[in-house]
Amino acid sequence: MASVNVTNQAQDSGPGGYAAARLRLLTEGARSGPPRRAALAALTDQWLTELFAAGAQQGRGVSLVAVGGYGRAELSPRSDLDLLLLHDGSDPKGVAALADRLWYPVWDLGLALDHSVRTPAEARKTAGGDLKVQLGLLDARHIAGDLGLTTSLRTAVLADWRNQAPRRLPQLRDLCAERAERAGELQYLLEPDLKEARGGLRDATALRAVAASWLADAPREGLDEARRRLLDVRDALHLTTGRATDRLALQEHDQVAAELGLLDADALLRQVYEAARVISYASDVTWREVGRVLRSRAVRPRLRAMLGGGKPVPERSPLAEGVVEQEGEVVLARTARPERDPVLPLRAAAAAAQAGLPLSLHAVRRLAATVRPLPTPWPAEAREQLITLLGSGRPTVEVWEALEAEGLISRLLPDWERVRCRPQRNAVHLWTVDRHLIETAVQASALTRRVSRPDLLLVAALLHDIGKGWPGDHSVAGETIARDVAARIGFDQRDVAVIATLVRRHLLLVETATRRDLDDPATVRAVADAVGSQSTLELLHALTEADALATGPAAWSSWRATLVADLVKRVSALLSGDEPDDPGDAATTAEQERLALEAAATGGPVLALRAQPEQPAGPDRSGTGEGRGEPEPLGVELLVAVPDQPGVLPAVAGVLAMHRLTVRTAELRAVSLPDGVDGRVLLLDWRVAAEYGSLPQAARLRSDLVRALDGTLDIAARLAERDAAYPRRRGVVPPPPRVTVAAAASRLATVIEVRAQDAPGLLFRIGRALEDAGVRVRSAHVSTLGANAVDAFYVTGPEGAPLPGAEAVTVAGRLERTLRG
Amino acid sequence: MKLITAVVKPHRLDEIKEALQAFGVHGLTVTEASGYGRQRGHTEVYRGAEYTVDLVPKIRIEVLVEDDDAEQLIEVIVKAARTGKIGDGKVWSVPVETAVRVRTGERGPDAL
Repeated sequence: MASVNVTNQAQDSGPGGYAAARLRLLTEGARSGPPRRAALAALTDQWLTELFAAGAQQGRGVSLVAVGGYGRAELSPRSDLDLLLLHDGSDPKGVAALADRLWYPVWDLGLALDHSVRTPAEARKTAGGDLKVQLGLLDARHIAGDLGLTTSLRTAVLADWRNQAPRRLPQLRDLCAERAERAGELQYLLEPDLKEARGGLRDATALRAVAASWLADAPREGLDEARRRLLDVRDALHLTTGRATDRLALQEHDQVAAELGLLDADALLRQVYEAARVISYASDVTWREVGRVLRSRAVRPRLRAMLGGGKPVPERSPLAEGVVEQEGEVVLARTARPERDPVLPLRAAAAAAQAGLPLSLHAVRRLAATVRPLPTPWPAEAREQLITLLGSGRPTVEVWEALEAEGLISRLLPDWERVRCRPQRNAVHLWTVDRHLIETAVQASALTRRVSRPDLLLVAALLHDIGKGWPGDHSVAGETIARDVAARIGFDQRDVAVIATLVRRHLLLVETATRRDLDDPATVRAVADAVGSQSTLELLHALTEADALATGPAAWSSWRATLVADLVKRVSALLSGDEPDDPGDAATTAEQERLALEAAATGGPVLALRAQPEQPAGPDRSGTGEGRGEPEPLGVELLVAVPDQPGVLPAVAGVLAMHRLTVRTAELRAVSLPDGVDGRVLLLDWRVAAEYGSLPQAARLRSDLVRALDGTLDIAARLAERDAAYPRRRGVVPPPPRVTVAAAASRLATVIEVRAQDAPGLLFRIGRALEDAGVRVRSAHVSTLGANAVDAFYVTGPEGAPLPGAEAVTVAGRLERTLRG
Repeated sequence: MKLITAVVKPHRLDEIKEALQAFGVHGLTVTEASGYGRQRGHTEVYRGAEYTVDLVPKIRIEVLVEDDDAEQLIEVIVKAARTGKIGDGKVWSVPVETAVRVRTGERGPDAL
C-alpha cells in the first residue's frame, strides 16, 4: 500500500471540492427529501467518476458500480457508500491499484464504505450464496468505466434472480420474518428502527426484489410515498444526531420533528406509523401472494395430469354466509352481495379470525368499495360478528389490520380515527393507542371464561382508551364516547351503562389497590359504589388484567395481580349482599299454553317457528313512542312443547345442529298444565339462526325430533359424520371450557354453569352428558355472545331434589372433561 | 453513611415520599416486593376455592443518608408508614462503606 500516492491530482479537485460541496448541500437547507438524496448521490457519482478516471489505466475491462441504497441513488446524509469494483480478471494488479485509489479517499473523508472487488462471475456466485448481496445487486447502477461490463452483470443478475425465485423468495421471506422478530414492528414502537423493523425500509426493499422476480407484485398504492416518508425521517435523524443511526430514539423525536417542519413529535410518529402500516400491509399481502403462486406451481403438474390438462379449479369451502375459504385465504362467495349486505365485512372478518386465516386483499378492497353503511343501531348480527371478531384471540390482529388498511374500521367506528396511529409517549406502553386497544381485546378473549358477559368485556376492552386524544381525563372523555358507540352498536340501555362504567373506571382497581389502604372499609365502600354490582366488578377485574397485559411487560406482575385480586375479593364480599337476578319462572304466554296443551293431548312434540317475536301488549305497541327500544335479537323464535320425558334437551339441540341451525339463546322449563289435565310438559323457547341460507320448515324439524325422541334417529352418529366430512381447520385456540357449580344460587335445584367456545352441536353434547350423568334438567338458560356460550343449567336428581354438594362437583367435573375431550 | 431500608405497605408510599422530601432527602429507590413477617401466611376462601396467601405485596424503600441523620430519618419513615395494624412492615439500617455518584465521580457524603 506504500505505493499509493495520496496526493494525486484528482484529489485537489476531488475530495476537497467534494467534501465542501457535500457540506453545503446538507446544511443549506434549501433542498430536502428526494431532491437532496438524488443531489447527494449525483455529487458523489461525479466525485467517484473523477477518482476513477484519474486511477484507471485503460477504459475497458473495469467499471465502478453502485449497489444497494446508493444504487437506487438515495443517499441519506450518513448512508454507507455501497460500491462494487467490477473487472474482467485480465489485469488483477491494475485493479488492486485502482481499488486503493478509490477506497482511500473515501475512507480519508470519514465516510462509511461497503466495498468489494469482483469479476461478474464472482459477483453472481457470491449473490447465489448470500441473499443480502443478491438484493444489493438488484439495484446495481453504473457509475464509471466499462458500461458494457456493468450492463452484462445487471442482465445476468436479474435473470438469475428470476430463475431462482421459487427457491430464493422463501429464503427472503424467512429473512424478513426473522428480522421482524428481532426488531419488532415499526408501526407501533415508541423507539422504532426505521430500517430493520417490520414495515421499515428493508421491507420496502424486499418488496422491490419480489417485484423484480416477476412472480408477484405488491399493492402499490401509497408504497412509494411511504418509503419516501421514512427516508425523509431518516435524513432528518442523520442530520440531527450526526450519526448513521436508524433508531428513532425518544430523545431525538422533538428535534427530528422540527427538522422536518412538523408540529410536534406526535405528528412525526403518526407519519412514521402510517408509512409503516402501508409497507407492512403490502408485505403481508405480497408474501401471501408469493406463497400462493409457489404452491400453485408445485401442484400444477399433478392437477394437470388428473384433470387431463384442464385448468385447475381452486377448492372453496364455506365459512359463513357469503364467505368462503380459498387457498388459505378468506374470500367472498360468488353469491355474496356486499352492496346489499352491510354486515358482510364484519361477518367475513369474524369468520377469518375464527378460522385463523387472513382476509384476501381482493375481498377487503371489494368490501371497501361496495359495502353500505350499517343502520343505527346496528342489527343484532353485526354486533354478534363484531364480538366474535374481537373474541378470536391472536388472529384478530391481522384481520383488524386488513380492515383498517382499507378504511373499513373508521367507517364502522368513526371514533377510531382519533386513536389511529396515536403514539403513547410513556415508557410503560409498548403500542400505539389503537393497537393497544386491539391487544387488550386479544388478552381479554383469554379471560372470557371468568365473566358472565364476555361480550361486554370484549367491547369494553376495545373502547377503554377511546377517549385518548381528547382534552382532559381520557376515562371521562372515553365514557361519553363509549356510551355513544355501545348504543350505536346496538346494546340495550343496561348494557350500555355497564360498558360506560367499565370505560370510566378502567384504572380504578389498579390505582386503588396499589395506592389505597385495603384494610380501610371506606376504600372498599368507595370502589363498591363506583362499580355498582358483582357482575360489573367481575368484568372490571378481567378488563384491568387484560389492559395491563396489553400495555407492556412492566405493567402487570404477580405483585400487582395479588393486590388487585385482594381488592376485588373485599369489594365482592361487600357487594355479595346484592344477589344476582334469579331467572325466575317467566309467565306462560297464551301461545305457549296452547302448544303445551296440544303436546299433552297428542303425546308428541309440537313446534312453532316465528320470524318475529310476539309484540308485548301495551300502549307503546306501535313502537313510535320511544326512539330506542330494546334492540332486536338475532335469529328467529322457535317454540317447542314436549311431554316431560328424559332426553329432551339433547334431542332438540341435536336436531337443530343437524339442520345447521345455531342456537343463540335457549330457555327450557317444565310447566304444569292447567287444572284438569294430567302430566307435565317441557316448554322450550329458543332463538335460532341459520348458519347458511334460509330456515328449514317446522314440519321437517318436527319429524326429525319425533325420531330423535323415540331413538330411531342416531344424532350423535349423524353429527360425527358431518364433522368428518369437513376438513379440520387450525382456527383459533379458544380458552378451555369451564364448568362450575354456582354456590347457593337456588334452593330448588343445583345450578351448573358452563362457559365454552360456541361450536356446532355444543348444546347437544352438554345435554347428553347431563342425561348420562343421571340428572334431570329442570330449566336451562343458554346464551351465545359472539363466539362464547354462557349457559346455566338448573338440574336435580331423579327425585327432583338438588344434588348433594360433592355429587354436583363430580357432575360438573365430568361435564368439563367431556367438553374438553 | 447508612443505608436505610423500609419494607412497608404499598399504599403508604406517597406519605413516606412526602415525609422524606420534607426532611430533605432527595433520592430514594423503590421496589415492588413480596414477603411476610410475624403475620405469616393466611388462608383465604375466594370464589369457592381455598388458597393460601403466603406472600403479601409490599413496597421496599431504600435511602442512603449520613450517619447523623439515620436515627431521625428512621423515625420519620416509621411515623409515615404506621397504620397500627398487623403487616405495617419494618425499617432497618446498615452501615455503608462507600458511595459514588456515577456522573461526576464524587465519593462519600458528597455523592448523596
